[in-house]
Amino acid sequence: MTARPYDEISEDELIKASLDGDRKAFGEIIRRYQKMIARTVKGMLGDSAYAEDIGQEVFIKLYYSLSEFRGEAKLSTYIQRIAINLTLNELKRKKRFFSMFAQKENNEMYELEIADYDYEERKEASEIVNKALMALDPKFRIIVIMRMLEGYSTKETAEILDLPLGTVLSRLSRAQEQLKNILKKK
Amino acid sequence: MKPAEVKKLIINSLDIKTNPLEASGKLEEAGVSYDFSNSFNDRVLDRLFSLGLAVNSKVEFLKSMNFAFYRIAFTGVAAIVILLISIFMMEGSISFNSFLGLSDSYDESIVCLLTGN
Repeated sequence: MTARPYDEISEDELIKASLDGDRKAFGEIIRRYQKMIARTVKGMLGDSAYAEDIGQEVFIKLYYSLSEFRGEAKLSTYIQRIAINLTLNELKRKKRFFSMFAQKENNEMYELEIADYDYEERKEASEIVNKALMALDPKFRIIVIMRMLEGYSTKETAEILDLPLGTVLSRLSRAQEQLKNILKKK
Repeated sequence: MKPAEVKKLIINSLDIKTNPLEASGKLEEAGVSYDFSNSFNDRVLDRLFSLGLAVNSKVEFLKSMNFAFYRIAFTGVAAIVILLISIFMMEGSISFNSFLGLSDSYDESIVCLLTGN
């Protein structure tokens, strides 16, 4: 598409090139957002191969809906919404059919990307966060992930989740209370 | 970072007054980072492109539908025009009766035609 390296190309150009079937352009979009999606999907579903599959589905769905992306919201917000919808649907499906099994699996399958140094401490930190997240109700969990892991403000969280700001604030406060109790027990 | 500090960081990160970006950065520094496997990017791209699925199917479908609609509409209009011309040539006018093929029929002959008497 152009002689410029892909990491220097604007999002709009990457979207246009992806729609024209440019594999590398869409690869660059994945590269830019895969960590963000990993935080959301793995935060919601636990760190497992299954979460990785859902992560793939997010980008596949994004690819097929790129033509509908009008640029009214940021691309990051658009992808985030796809990820949240997919993970919430998966949680509902899991809850319906495998509720007992799923919780056990999520809590046991933590395998985070951890640097070699301070291995034990970092692993422990990850486990504390993951176990705390998994103990939360999904509607609070997603709010916590948006703020604690993604670093979104409450206003941005409300926008992404399409919730009133007041709801986000009250859920955040209740999630904080729940987390205090959860972490006290551990 | 000690577990107690991590727990404190988690709780504090949800405070309204805390800068969420700063809090998420601190957690990442403490080792709470998520990513997919190294081959994630290639696997997604392989699923999309290697099976020839790269064309945006929805867009292609809409384009095909659009094309098909115009072809059908065009053919239909052409057929109607040909029909009207042929009626005009055969009947000498384009009235409702001639359109129904009744221009030369009297009411009685229609009754005969319908009842068989």
